[in-house]
Amino acid sequence: MGETTKIVLAGEGGQGVQSVAGIIAEAANEEGRQALYIPNFGVEQRGGVSVAYVQISDSIIGSPKFQTGDIVVALSGRAVRRSSRYVGSNTTFIYDSGIEGVEGELPRNAGMILPIPAIETAKKDFHPRVFNIIIMGAVVGATGVIPLESAKEAVEKKLGYKFEKQPKLRELNFKAMERGVELVAEAAKYQPV
Amino acid sequence: MQKLFENEKKAFMTGNEVVAWAALAAKADIMYGYPITPQNEIMHYWTRLAPKFDKKFLQTEDELSAGFTTIGGVMAGRKAFTATAGPGNTLMQEPMSMAEMMRLPTVVVVQQRGGPSTATVIYSQQEVNMTALGGNGEGLRIVYSTSSHQELFDYTIKAFNTAWKYRFPTFVLGDGYQAKMRESLTLYEPESRGINLIEPEPYLGKAGVPGVDRPPAQFRNTFSMEEELYELLMGYVKDYEKIMPEVAEYQSSGVEDADLVIVGHGIVFRAIRAAVDTLRRRGLKVGYFRPVTLRPLSIPQIRELTAGVKKMLVVESAYGQLARLIKEVAYGGTAEMLTMYRPGVGITAEEVEAEAEKILK
Repeated sequence: MGETTKIVLAGEGGQGVQSVAGIIAEAANEEGRQALYIPNFGVEQRGGVSVAYVQISDSIIGSPKFQTGDIVVALSGRAVRRSSRYVGSNTTFIYDSGIEGVEGELPRNAGMILPIPAIETAKKDFHPRVFNIIIMGAVVGATGVIPLESAKEAVEKKLGYKFEKQPKLRELNFKAMERGVELVAEAAKYQPV
Repeated sequence: MQKLFENEKKAFMTGNEVVAWAALAAKADIMYGYPITPQNEIMHYWTRLAPKFDKKFLQTEDELSAGFTTIGGVMAGRKAFTATAGPGNTLMQEPMSMAEMMRLPTVVVVQQRGGPSTATVIYSQQEVNMTALGGNGEGLRIVYSTSSHQELFDYTIKAFNTAWKYRFPTFVLGDGYQAKMRESLTLYEPESRGINLIEPEPYLGKAGVPGVDRPPAQFRNTFSMEEELYELLMGYVKDYEKIMPEVAEYQSSGVEDADLVIVGHGIVFRAIRAAVDTLRRRGLKVGYFRPVTLRPLSIPQIRELTAGVKKMLVVESAYGQLARLIKEVAYGGTAEMLTMYRPGVGITAEEVEAEAEKILK
């Protein structure tokens, strides 16, 4: 079995982690790779932490859920706590630097911890609605599982009908995604060695 | 009817959507259903697709009714099916027991959730007892346990053919993970792969005078004499035993030289296969055996296995429901039977690997 990239996305309902996970998996599938995406669901889906599991590989994928992610992204305080169990010594843990009071709860066993100001960037430089697209850019940047261009194509496929009506939205989304890639790269630069 | 796809089509979708497409590909005529998580979207997709292909749907007031109307559909000569889960599957056993008594080719798709009772809406392999052995009666039924979206598609199509060929209630046993996850598969027109779809025929209302032009249509589920029931049932049992070798399916690998054979079904098999691959690459003599049909099981192969290998490990997201079926067949074999039970929770490749290592140490 070849290398499988395992991604966990955790956030509050409405932050769009499920659609990001779905789009990434679909983009990988379009690239001809094996992809599997499963949302957590159940009663906690309403008002609880929303978790998405994505696996991308060149060979057959095993169980839909897994114990340790290569990339774990947490977008709220509760999501940090909930997703820490998927962190191992080779995990890159990405969280939003705007989350307050989680410093002491970050999974210190992670291979790398990258705080990124995604919420703030979305609000200030773009629009709060493209927050999840910035996160998608961050995942693409951190994993390299799919080329940025395929990620854009996948978004185009999903939102193309909206872009047709408002071409400005296309630029906004694509720029936001590029910014996500940059945020991760910048955060990685400041990693203490 | 218009073609579903030009022979083949790659798709990336949820398992529930796969089932709806497969039922269409199998030329099912009607679905009867009552909503329950995690299978709801089978209904949703079917109701969205059905009108385009001149198919029907009826929502009933509960699963008892969904099962009995499926029986009605079948008796009228329609390829009818339903889908359910958990407590819905419990209710479904009453009509399916009737289908067993009357030898009706009903098709039921089950997406297992946690139990007992309402429990979780998420996932388990705890509906094996119920789906394989059913309500009152002898469990004369056929159960396919799938492990991927491709299989969900393949075996849903196959279930209709199996049901109408052998006239035993037939089940496709998935689970909440398979229902909700998305992965790729190839959709196809069965005919383009040389699969002949069996035409349904009515049980009732056939042409001609009953008793003169044709045998009378008498399908009973009530008897006043013990012997009458016995005679009929023993005929069914004989039929069932005859078709067992034809119907039973399994998949195995690396069992010939194995010190340990890991046994599991459904989605858990994926974890087992991944674990066995890793352990083999590390030089450990581990193999797997996976029953595709849980009812009937591949009896000769299981007997051979349990007579030949030293240790077997049954892994399941239930507390011994698969193990009980396997052990019954394996009785008399010399293999030591070990178990890894995780009722109602998913099992990862890493966990199976760790358990196997512990055993082989």
